[in-house]
Amino acid sequence: MQMSGSGELERDMAEGQIVAGYLAPHPPHLVYGENPPQNEPESQGGWEQLRWAYERARATLDELKPDVLLVHSPHWITQQGHHFLGVKELSGKSVDPIFPNLFRYSFNLDVDVELAEACCEEARGLGLTTKMMRNPNFRVDYGTITTLHMMRPQWDIPVVGISANNSPYYLKLDEGLEEMDRLGKATAEAIRKTGRRAVLLASNTLCHWHFHEEPEIPEDMSKEHPQDYAGYLWDMKIIDLLRQGKTDEVFELLPDFIQEAFAEIKSGAFTWMFSAMGYPNIPAELHGYGTVIGTGNAVMEWNLIKAGLAQAA
Amino acid sequence: MPVVSAFLVPGSPLPMVKRDNPPWGALAEAMDVAGERLRASNADTVLVYSTQWFAVLDELWQTRAHSVGTHVDENWHEFGDLPFDIRADQEMAEACIAAAIEAGVKSKAVDYDHFPIDTGTIVAKQFLVGDADIPLVICANNLYHDGETTETIARIAVQEGDKLGRRVAVAGVGGLSGSFFRHEIDIADDHVAVPAEDAWNRKVLDLIAAADVEGLRAAWPDYAREAKADMGFKQMAFLLGALGGSYASADVLGYGPLYGTGGAVAHITPNG
Repeated sequence: MQMSGSGELERDMAEGQIVAGYLAPHPPHLVYGENPPQNEPESQGGWEQLRWAYERARATLDELKPDVLLVHSPHWITQQGHHFLGVKELSGKSVDPIFPNLFRYSFNLDVDVELAEACCEEARGLGLTTKMMRNPNFRVDYGTITTLHMMRPQWDIPVVGISANNSPYYLKLDEGLEEMDRLGKATAEAIRKTGRRAVLLASNTLCHWHFHEEPEIPEDMSKEHPQDYAGYLWDMKIIDLLRQGKTDEVFELLPDFIQEAFAEIKSGAFTWMFSAMGYPNIPAELHGYGTVIGTGNAVMEWNLIKAGLAQAA
Repeated sequence: MPVVSAFLVPGSPLPMVKRDNPPWGALAEAMDVAGERLRASNADTVLVYSTQWFAVLDELWQTRAHSVGTHVDENWHEFGDLPFDIRADQEMAEACIAAAIEAGVKSKAVDYDHFPIDTGTIVAKQFLVGDADIPLVICANNLYHDGETTETIARIAVQEGDKLGRRVAVAGVGGLSGSFFRHEIDIADDHVAVPAEDAWNRKVLDLIAAADVEGLRAAWPDYAREAKADMGFKQMAFLLGALGGSYASADVLGYGPLYGTGGAVAHITPNG
């Protein structure tokens, strides 16, 4: 940060900043395997490598002391614009429509409405169609809840929930991801203007080829493996590049990765997060990787404080 | 043949939550007529297939005896709530599950409090059944099932209804053309977004009205691709499967825009 005088310093200190971004996938199996009191079904565990990865991510998140967590979820799909949760407190029970046997979670969210509104306005200013979600009966999707639970099970940090506009699927891929790039820029500007210390959560799986039948015992890890070898190789290549800090190269490969590995990052969260962070070519911390019904999931962190791109609290 | 009536209806919530908007109100009125006809057909059970209930593992069937609550559409939340009160025909649904598994379609029951019943099913139930005491058999749209498998599932369901002596009404819930307005519009001026898709919708509805199943099947692949038909128009495949592949006649009760997409209401009369 450039500081030309004490007045400049005060102004800069008042500005918000993104302190980290996490790739934080949302298989509901991870909540199921953990057996938190909020979730009805009970398991005998399972997917430990990923759950332990999230334990490490929880610890680093705690050190960051953010004011707010922003999550972009592919399971809140919208067609007319990019939507933002806009009700201060949202509660209810979220049942996964695909895995209702695993995820029936009683949630209670504290939403940072002021920041959500700022994101909405900034994105509108960049030419995106945007909308605030003001209906208090809205059922928050399981992707948002799973990512937030796995990152911060205490639920003591306000959140901003952002929908996945289906533009990458409806438009050409590059057109759709360009919208996510603008959404990221708008998010960063809103964070800056509102003075928040923010952490971004991209709720995305990598390779998304999956089983077509569920094992009789869902948590039977003897049945868990990558669904697709080529997809697994793609995941390893992308993770390796990210660990080396070769962000530019990853984004060059992104279209091929998305197509060949059916990667869920097509839905936009990954691009949104990197755009908001300014696509830093800094090494990612890999907290862990594992498969869930055959899909590839990595928990990864980009700590902008350690990289000298943000200030410690 | 236990099917006493069949209906093609849109799954968009707009006719239900905003019927005071003329383009959507016209579809709501058509849905009202469809509901009157369904209830007049003295159905014991309504078999519902909605393109909006996605499944990716197995075929899912709703077996919860009584589902009641308030749903909010994830895209159209600003127009208010979608209250629902749905009773399931558990006996028939369980029979369908067993028969589908026997036929090689792995199937599962869904019986969970607060299960997110999809917008399309709620809208169809509200208009077609209303407050009448008619239970539903609801099955999911498995995204990996093609039209042929979807027809098979419907045929199996109707066969199981027949074994149980049910008079079955069938609802195929989904849209026609798929292009939509991505930006905010003056909703009073809503129209099908792409003229070529509008033409395709009208052509397909003419084929349905003429009961020309052979012509419909011939046009289907081009229609699905060129008009971006909702889920490849699988809700119509479900109807054809339930009807045994042909039907006596059809009456298109309404056709119109739903934020640029196409939606239609049709009453299909089974073969005698």
